[in-house]
Amino acid sequence: MSNYILKYSRDDRVKYISHLDFVRMFHRAIRRTDINFVFSQGFNPHPVMTVAQPLSVGVTSDCEYMKVGFDGEYSENELLEKINNAFPPGYKILAAKKVSGKEIDLTKLDRAVYTVELEYEGNVDIDGFLSNKELVVMKKTKSGEKESDIRPYIYELEKISENNGILVLKMCIAVGSSYNLKPQSVIDAMEKYMDNFKSGFMNVHRNKMLRGDVEYL
Amino acid sequence: MITTRDKILSSVMKPTRYTGGELNAVIKNPADVSVRFGFCFADTYEIAMSHLGLEILYHLLNKREDTYCERVFAPWTDMEEEMKKHGMKLFALETGDEVTHFDMLGFTLQYELCYSNIVNMLNLADIPVRAKDRDESYPIICGGGPCAYNAEPVADIFDFFMMGEGEEIINEVADEYVKWKKSGKKNKRDYLEAIAKIEGVYVPSFYDVEYNDDRTVKSVRPNNENAKPKVKKRIMKDFNDAYAPDTIIVPFGEVVHDRVMLEVMRGCMRGCRFCQAGYIYRPLRERKPENLLGIAENLLSCSGFDEISLSSLSTSDFGGLKELTDGLLDMTEKKKIGLSLPSLRIDNFSLELMNKVQKVRKTGITFAPEAGTQRLRDVINKNINEEDIIKSTDLLFRGGWTNVKLYFMIGLPTETMEDVHGIADLAQKVLDVYFAIPKEERANNINITVSTSSFVPKPFTAFQWAKQDSRDMLIEKQNELKSSIKSKRIRYNWHDNKTSYLEGVFARGDRRLGEVIIKAVENGCKFDGWGEHFKFDTWMKTFDELGIDPDFYTSRERSYEEVLPWEHIDIGVTKKFFMRENERAKAATTTPNCREQCSGCGIASFGTGVCYE
Repeated sequence: MSNYILKYSRDDRVKYISHLDFVRMFHRAIRRTDINFVFSQGFNPHPVMTVAQPLSVGVTSDCEYMKVGFDGEYSENELLEKINNAFPPGYKILAAKKVSGKEIDLTKLDRAVYTVELEYEGNVDIDGFLSNKELVVMKKTKSGEKESDIRPYIYELEKISENNGILVLKMCIAVGSSYNLKPQSVIDAMEKYMDNFKSGFMNVHRNKMLRGDVEYL
Repeated sequence: MITTRDKILSSVMKPTRYTGGELNAVIKNPADVSVRFGFCFADTYEIAMSHLGLEILYHLLNKREDTYCERVFAPWTDMEEEMKKHGMKLFALETGDEVTHFDMLGFTLQYELCYSNIVNMLNLADIPVRAKDRDESYPIICGGGPCAYNAEPVADIFDFFMMGEGEEIINEVADEYVKWKKSGKKNKRDYLEAIAKIEGVYVPSFYDVEYNDDRTVKSVRPNNENAKPKVKKRIMKDFNDAYAPDTIIVPFGEVVHDRVMLEVMRGCMRGCRFCQAGYIYRPLRERKPENLLGIAENLLSCSGFDEISLSSLSTSDFGGLKELTDGLLDMTEKKKIGLSLPSLRIDNFSLELMNKVQKVRKTGITFAPEAGTQRLRDVINKNINEEDIIKSTDLLFRGGWTNVKLYFMIGLPTETMEDVHGIADLAQKVLDVYFAIPKEERANNINITVSTSSFVPKPFTAFQWAKQDSRDMLIEKQNELKSSIKSKRIRYNWHDNKTSYLEGVFARGDRRLGEVIIKAVENGCKFDGWGEHFKFDTWMKTFDELGIDPDFYTSRERSYEEVLPWEHIDIGVTKKFFMRENERAKAATTTPNCREQCSGCGIASFGTGVCYE
């Protein structure tokens, strides 16, 4: 029995799959291989696995992580080959590593880099926007909606391109249990604090997840 | 890139209903095939993907190099709104392509209440609803499944129907399509004439229906020399060797039957007089256990499902049940795969089996006595008696089960209030069984649920001539039952009688109902099987608008002399047999099952199955 960290991607084809449906899909994929899960103890045994910062529905990614217990020893190449063969098109394991202690701790991931592509109208002034001392927006939390200053949790925000009413932004913002920020909240703040800026539909892609400036795998 | 598709999918519930791309879904290049076939199911993804027939015919058609079969389902109302807003037409899941100019669309007719959805789907596809309004540029629209046996209410919509089991016939009509297409697809009539010669194909436009002054059918006669006077259903003669898919699509979202379904046999030997499935799927044919074990192992390993369920009309009657379940348990225990066994009759053997499969959780058990008194159970030929029920529930309660569901029908022919009271009495007796067991030998918290649905007489049953109870009468019976249940441990659920009424109209309906269905959809009806969308008043208003009296189809006892709208269809079981069964029902005389004694229903003419064991 060993624990493994898997890094995987999901593309456009499977981006509407919810977190729970992904977990079920992963269980089924493993059952199609000859790898055996480690099961939890108790009345209703289930495979031992945790996913770091589950993706929202509609978001694509190159940098998802999970920790999972397998009954057996596997090399990185074996895992990549076996699991990728069992995945439906759109999901792909990019890297795998056996871990014994806490050298990779997924709960410590605290920031993520996103590329956001959105429809917009008006003027975009990122420097002006970032020079605000505080950026207070309504934010959904477990206990309902409340106001929050998100400025300290925007680590980087950069305009990549703007043309034909489509704006592309790159942002590095907080994720994790201590403070979790979604790209939508940044766009909400831009609407509130930038004059004449209105946003429309957006596509979000997660490029990286980091602990400080360290990227796992 | 920002696309319209993303905008639509981001604003609807359960978007994976519409994205396709599941594991084992078939990917082909449409440019490589002659026939683009849309397998249509007029309900949601979750219902459609739980249908075994789809899985069989989808993979069967896709084995053909010249054909690409894709899935086409009814979009939920939120999706329909978005599609209309963005000018998006009905599409197939695999490629996302519009189906408007596919070669063929095949609807499976699983229940009468999906008719409005069929019309709605054609509207969404921008395809003319009536067959006569479609030229060669539109797909050929065909249908099959249980309701196809009396598809008269939708006869004007379809180009043809396939009667019976589809595995062979669907290849034959596809072959003819390829020939017709190669010849230049000049005239739709040429294709229909070619397939009308195939046994089991029914082309409704090749038959004229005449009516009597009293609105009953006078005659149904072919108007084309290629059409047979009687269309005979098709079956798989050698069911053991019949095609079973070697792969199965694995949905991303949860569907109703989220598991491998293993079809162990077709047909049923019991002969319950109300049950259409029991007659139309005759004769009973089994697959061999060793064959089934191979199929099961393969489907489990290609899908990764963690549950497998045996599928048939009455699994206890499967001859190789012990051998099969022993083999399956060996397979499933190792991999922590659940085995579920619906449709079991309860006896010592099945209890032992259930103890094996439900090791931890004792989930609920459902019994279907169907009627409350022995007399009425004899009328419907449900060969189960009170002693069986008492003995089985005693075994269950001692085995630790405490959730028992008892399923009945009300409105059965000859039913009186005494029979209705009998339902409450039987539930009370089951409760008494529980309390008669010493406390330390049973689990706590007994829960009995009595559930009733309203009987709907169906074509091709012994009760096809019967009068259906009026809604008022059904409500009276429901109220009577409600008040005669005394214990708080017994809960009563009943089925809405408005849907049963509409189901009854269409089940034994004729061609004149086609206009009503098309009009009702114009008036906003769809998803009639879904309580939140069912618009009974709109339906009634539509009948009224077109001057058609729906009671004509439900509230009349028909005579044996009357020409029934489906009499030109031959399911192998004879009208004479149904008449005999109907008379025996009136006398409350039971008929033995096929293995006890042959009752000469006529199906032996197919030369296979239980008739030759």
